[in-house]
Amino acid sequence: MLETRNLDKSFGAVHVTRDVSFRLEKGERRVILGPNGAGKTTLFNLLAGELIPDSGAIMLAGEDVTSLPVASRARRGLSRSYQKNTLFDGLSVEENLGLAASIHTGFGTRLWGDSLSRPEVREIVEDVAAQVNLQPYLHARVSEVSYGVRRQLEVGVALATRPRVLLMDEPTSGVGPEMAGAFHALLAGLPRDLTILIIEHDMDLAFEVADSITVLNYGEVVFDGAPETARGSDLLKEIYLGSWEHA
Amino acid sequence: MTSDLGFWTLQALNALQLSMLLFLLSIGLTVIFGLMHFVNLAHGSLYAVGAYAGAAAAAVGGFWMGLFVAPVAVAGMGVLLYSGLIKRMRRSGPMAQVLVTFGLIFVLLDLTRIFWGDLPLAIEKPGFLSGRVALLGIEYPAYRLFVIALGLAIFTGLAWVLGQTQVGAMIRAGVDNDAMAACLGINVERLFFTVFCVGCALAGLAGVVAAPLLSVTPDMGLQILIPTLIVIVIGGLGSLKGAIAGSLIYGFVQTFGAVLAPQLASVLIYALLAAVLVIRPMGLFPAKG
Amino acid sequence: MFRHTPLRYIALALLAAGALFQAATAGYFGLEILIEILILAMLVLALDMVAGFGGMVSLCHGALMGVGAYAFATFGGILGLTPLVSLVGAIALTGATAWVIGAVCARSHGIYFIMATLAFGQMAYSYVFQTPFFGGDDGMGGIERLDLTALGIDLTDSRSFALFCLGVLGLVYLATVAVLRSGLGRSLTGVMHSEQRMRALGLTVWRVKADVFGLSGMIAGLAGALSAMHIMYISPGLLDWTVSGEALVVVILGGLGTLVGPMIGAVALVVLKHELSAITPYWHLVVGLLLIGVVMSRANGIFGWIEAQIGARLDKRLNDITRPQPTEEPRDA
Repeated sequence: MLETRNLDKSFGAVHVTRDVSFRLEKGERRVILGPNGAGKTTLFNLLAGELIPDSGAIMLAGEDVTSLPVASRARRGLSRSYQKNTLFDGLSVEENLGLAASIHTGFGTRLWGDSLSRPEVREIVEDVAAQVNLQPYLHARVSEVSYGVRRQLEVGVALATRPRVLLMDEPTSGVGPEMAGAFHALLAGLPRDLTILIIEHDMDLAFEVADSITVLNYGEVVFDGAPETARGSDLLKEIYLGSWEHA
Repeated sequence: MTSDLGFWTLQALNALQLSMLLFLLSIGLTVIFGLMHFVNLAHGSLYAVGAYAGAAAAAVGGFWMGLFVAPVAVAGMGVLLYSGLIKRMRRSGPMAQVLVTFGLIFVLLDLTRIFWGDLPLAIEKPGFLSGRVALLGIEYPAYRLFVIALGLAIFTGLAWVLGQTQVGAMIRAGVDNDAMAACLGINVERLFFTVFCVGCALAGLAGVVAAPLLSVTPDMGLQILIPTLIVIVIGGLGSLKGAIAGSLIYGFVQTFGAVLAPQLASVLIYALLAAVLVIRPMGLFPAKG
Repeated sequence: MFRHTPLRYIALALLAAGALFQAATAGYFGLEILIEILILAMLVLALDMVAGFGGMVSLCHGALMGVGAYAFATFGGILGLTPLVSLVGAIALTGATAWVIGAVCARSHGIYFIMATLAFGQMAYSYVFQTPFFGGDDGMGGIERLDLTALGIDLTDSRSFALFCLGVLGLVYLATVAVLRSGLGRSLTGVMHSEQRMRALGLTVWRVKADVFGLSGMIAGLAGALSAMHIMYISPGLLDWTVSGEALVVVILGGLGTLVGPMIGAVALVVLKHELSAITPYWHLVVGLLLIGVVMSRANGIFGWIEAQIGARLDKRLNDITRPQPTEEPRDA
């Protein structure tokens, strides 16, 4: 469903990703691990189209999307959430979801009629709200709900475009350990045919939810395999935990 | 006529003279923007105030008196503006700044009218600059050569200050990254203040220098504002290199446009600006950070 | 997204009542001032639509209005089209011009957007100023007003023309609200909040910006054509950037992003200008100081300030009466 081939990106003399290749099958849930500065967020920006790689290719459902702009990739079913919330603060939770859903359904550029009252949009909003447990907050403004709820909404907005591939950039970033469980439940509630790539700091959570794991270090893939293998890997402990303690 | 070398020399000198005048204005504006991210639309009005202050002083003590008083007076005004207005507007968005300084244009326009009336004033050129000089096979007005020389002198002086001195290094650090500059222990606030006042002084100097070429009217500030803005946007807001490049581009396009394609001349420069903004939205020599 | 609050309804009702009263009772000069206000109000609605809801602070709306005026005069006076066809043509041409400007400037932000639109505005100004076809500095005269005698309305009469402009302004207001509440309007607000996120959701951001800028340009073109009909003479001064600057001042003085506020601002500026210029030739000084004061006070203009003072209390009281649900402003369906 999503595949990268030998992705290279440098900023000046700094090589941020080097020869990154991996492959996600439909419905696969892969977690990307790596210390700070390993190039995880850069990789996401390359996948989403916010950065263009120096060399290499990105395939989405068999199509080469390497040089497509962000919006075109999104319309082809690639959606992402951000590490830092990028919500529409003055709007309600419902309107946030509706905005995303109306772009997906094409009502977001119509001049006549309110997009949010369209049945197609309403259906997506209710669906997603149920998936990420946002029903109680639908009418509250984003600025009024707790940080944890906002993190859920961040994922919800990404889901409201009905993606085939979902990229989640540290979905549990900034929330306490008690939220990690809630996030696990949230993931469990997502459709099994949705392909998911997650950047996650919490190793235990990563091993719990992942079908497969990719470990990045200094921009390079140093491990690619099943979580069970990763758990026992000395290499992983050394690289990841070593740097992790420093951070 | 266009095949005549003298014609090209003449136009090139005219273009250079216009460029130098614009450089005096745009360098202050662009450094203020680069350092403080502050857009001062009233910069042109300071130029007008400089011309008036210069004219008033010149009426008493002659041209050189005017040339001295204008930058000092406008720098003094800069002190007032900075402490009364600019300092408080620093953290506001670009729109608030644009509007406050737009209001300032109105205020300064009417203040000059109240002080000096609506009739145009003039400044006499000093005696030895009032004639023409033989140069490169043509006769060229001495005063215009003086403007070019002054512009080049200021440019050289600024290049030296910015490139070789401690203050210059601080300014360059501040333009590139103000947080970094603060970390290096630079008193950013004092640096801003100094740069703002120097920028004002240069605007005042431009005003008094331009005065013998044009007549001094209340709306001269409005008329010069747009060319100055074009210069710094083409060059890149906050970019020192951009200010000189933009001034030269504007001066030459405008001057040669006016003689070669008078129908298109003024549209040409705006079309150029639009093209720059489309192709390089941050200008030709974008400032870092 | 635009929302009507009780306070906004009250302000709209007061504005409409005031305009109707003035139209019914004023003499010639009063009517002239009223028409000036009504046309300026259309222009600032157009500007508030892009600046207040899309973050596109345009310094070319005065020039767009000028394009509308010149297009109307050219279609009527030179091509000999009827005023109605000329009006439609002027609106379409201005809209298309604005769409192109919006598309080209869509990548620029903040001060660069302001400068880019300024450049396009000045380009139009210089072009009109230097083209003998448009009369250059002398402008164009002999412009006809719309002929509505079939409806029993004689627009050459100031009172009828004022009422006509009031009607048009009402329609423009409703159209602006409709645009802002449409899917396109919602997307625009999303773009203002976070362009990056909207793009990541699959929105072609530049198209949304260009489309709304085009729609806003149509309103500006309409205002320009009406202004040409009103004075029956036009000059390049209409396109000067200071006109755009003044429109922006009105939007800010009134209250950015409130639609109602800018209309109040239009009343305030025109009345102030006329009252002050009767007393002193230095009315710019007063307006300048007022502008500086309003911006530095950090209130969102006159209406923004009123909303902050009264609106919150009013909304709270209404909410308390209806049901004990806090927070949200009442939304009308």
